Amino acid sequence: MHNNPILRISTKILFAPIILFGLYVQFHGDFGPGGGFQAGVIVASAFILYSLVFGIEAGKKLFPLNVNLILLAFGGILYGGVGIVSMILGDEFLAYNILGSSPQSGQHIGILLVEFGVGLTVSNVMIALFNAFASYDKIKEK
Amino acid sequence: MISSTVGIWNYWIVFCLMMIGLFLVIGRKNFLKKIVGLTIFQTSVFLLYITFGKIKGGTPPILNESINTIYSNPLPHVLILTAIVVGVATTALGLSLVLRINSEYGSIEEDDVSAQDLVDYHDDIETGKTLDLKFKK
Repeated sequence: MHNNPILRISTKILFAPIILFGLYVQFHGDFGPGGGFQAGVIVASAFILYSLVFGIEAGKKLFPLNVNLILLAFGGILYGGVGIVSMILGDEFLAYNILGSSPQSGQHIGILLVEFGVGLTVSNVMIALFNAFASYDKIKEK
Repeated sequence: MISSTVGIWNYWIVFCLMMIGLFLVIGRKNFLKKIVGLTIFQTSVFLLYITFGKIKGGTPPILNESINTIYSNPLPHVLILTAIVVGVATTALGLSLVLRINSEYGSIEEDDVSAQDLVDYHDDIETGKTLDLKFKK
């Protein structure tokens, strides 16, 4: 697929809008349909599209494997960390109200951080799964 | 008029998707196509549950000033959010099993795999080995 000009150019055009739409879904999750799961998959689809068209090596250059695994773990830590912080501040696990100056702002900060953690983990799990399956033959040869 | 005879057309789509998925799982011999069928079957179940939760004119269940807000039932949606995540995990597990079978047998066709198993079985019988010995090693 490397030499197909239609795929190459349309991927380059689509890459940024897909991530922008992912971010829109991510931040829309506070008020309506959307959130970390959906946004994570949409953002991951941009990177998977890039890897499909330009090859798995180019995809790994764009988004290195160790960064992928670190961000994957960081999303889960962020989710749990919000809960731990609210416990340290003297409320229950994942009780958002205490995080801000008022309950409303606390809820806002809490949901934003938790959804960001979920989105990070989901997108990185998707990319990691794709990389694992796409480079299966190379693992076997080693 | 149509809606009274057809009912809620979501259920017809659920029915069609479910039967397509079931046919693919049972009728196709290729393991990869079986997994595709399983995914389509899953999708039909997701749609079924989302349809249960939807209320006509319902809004997302978020508190606001007006008292008479009708909101959709959030419980099926949350249930299906979990089911989607589990579905991704089971699909990944199934695909990894298919890759493993492919590296072991050199094929992902059910007939080829069973034929190779049968050949191994008859070889064992001819050389006097029983299946028990094979498993004891």
